[in-house]
Amino acid sequence: MATNSSTRKRAVVLLALSTVILVTLDVRGSSSAAFTRRTFSVVFRPVEDVTRVVTRPIANAWKSFTRFDEVVRENELLREKVAQQEGAAVAAAASVRTAQELLALNGLPTLAGINSVTAQVIGDSPSNFAQTVEINQGSANGIRVGMPVLNAAGLVGKITKVFPNRAVLMLITDPGYALSVKIVRLPEESTPAEVGDTGPTTTTTAAPPTTYIEGFTPGTTTIPNQVLRPVVSVPSLTVPPSNVESVRETGVLEGRGPTRTPVVRFIDSARRFGAVEVGSPVVTSGGSISLAPPDIVVGRVSRVNDRLGTAGPVLEVSLVANLTNLSFVRVLLYQPATERQVAGTTTVVP
Amino acid sequence: MGRVLSFVSNRWARLVLVALVLLGVQTTLLNDLRPFGVMVPVMLLLVAGVGTVYGSEVGAIAGFVVGLMYDGVLATPLGLAGLVFGVSGALAGSLLFFVREPTWWMRVLVVGVVSAVGELLFPVLQTMVGFDGWLQPRAIFVALVVGGINLLLAPLAILLSRWTLKESLGG
Repeated sequence: MATNSSTRKRAVVLLALSTVILVTLDVRGSSSAAFTRRTFSVVFRPVEDVTRVVTRPIANAWKSFTRFDEVVRENELLREKVAQQEGAAVAAAASVRTAQELLALNGLPTLAGINSVTAQVIGDSPSNFAQTVEINQGSANGIRVGMPVLNAAGLVGKITKVFPNRAVLMLITDPGYALSVKIVRLPEESTPAEVGDTGPTTTTTAAPPTTYIEGFTPGTTTIPNQVLRPVVSVPSLTVPPSNVESVRETGVLEGRGPTRTPVVRFIDSARRFGAVEVGSPVVTSGGSISLAPPDIVVGRVSRVNDRLGTAGPVLEVSLVANLTNLSFVRVLLYQPATERQVAGTTTVVP
Repeated sequence: MGRVLSFVSNRWARLVLVALVLLGVQTTLLNDLRPFGVMVPVMLLLVAGVGTVYGSEVGAIAGFVVGLMYDGVLATPLGLAGLVFGVSGALAGSLLFFVREPTWWMRVLVVGVVSAVGELLFPVLQTMVGFDGWLQPRAIFVALVVGGINLLLAPLAILLSRWTLKESLGG
């Protein structure tokens, strides 16, 4: 009994010393303490997961009992906010509609005129070396090879294979994906002094930055007094409302696999644009041979890698669409000219 | 199967297993259920229970072991909870040392008191090792709530502690 007691006393002293040493090591930033924590976390994680599943009903019952009033109040507040947002959304939709009418009047392509098909993602690629997913709509619904695919956030990819009732969608991150894009200058960076420095003078329609264009009716255009200059020297140019997209650069977006962000190469540098800034929006550039119509949001510039000489910078792009968790997507029934000859086949010219 | 039974028959192995399950409950259910905005430290409850049933030495050892496990999921320095629980376990045993035959309600009372003291030791030791800002009046409120709730849960904790560190499962 006495031996037992002395052994315990020694154990207590040893354990006390051990904990003091551990505290000292951890406070001093020892890696061994971090390693111990990580190891324990690995062992403990399954236990925690199982416990979470088992105890979730109890936790939910407790929350519904203790937080009912709070939830009701929050629900009322949210309803009020939704009502406000709906009003704002209607105003925004009117604004977008007006802008689209203006673009259409000037003979420029817009997303409003393109029909779309909503599809559900039904499976991932069975390979480690392809970034594709399968959707549950196919040629029976008008889907063709090359059509761009979006989700609620932005561009997701393009159709590469079509079957009667399903299709295969190549994601932007696939190394085989390439698309012409433009980098739009951030709105707050655009100053009146910078607009109109170079290029020929063109009289254009510039709308005031409101949701309502004064004096505008379909079929007629009011030419205001404001005179703006275009980005490049083309015979005619429409400057969008508030001049947000008046200055831009174009390049080619390329996927680099699931673990690396896509990059934009071959930047067609415009002197007026200046240096490309991190955070600048990246949208599709459109054009007669482009794979997608213009102004579909792709992402934001997350990093600018400058290169020496005339090579131009390489931009890393953080995509707005979360490609790891796709459920519903929208296929734009817009078939690029480059894809029309090969529609229905499995080969796609990027 | 024999090895598993042999492992479980060891009282200290059983303590680790029980503590692991309680740690799971602590980080999930009790993390959500916060009466009066305070999380109930069920691990401390177990240690206090062990101390009252098996004495200060066993209580201290159990406290160090359970506390070190708790340290694995905390953001405080590793070993801090071990130290706090070790002291709490020893304290729980010491408070009943001078009582010849402690009654059940004495044990329950000691569990409540030790839980409150142990909870208060956390900010004190944190301050001692350089993590300032936690020693404030709210610590007393937290200690009181923990003491009160653990007092209510003490009978269960004592039963669990008795079973966990029983020398032989058969007896």
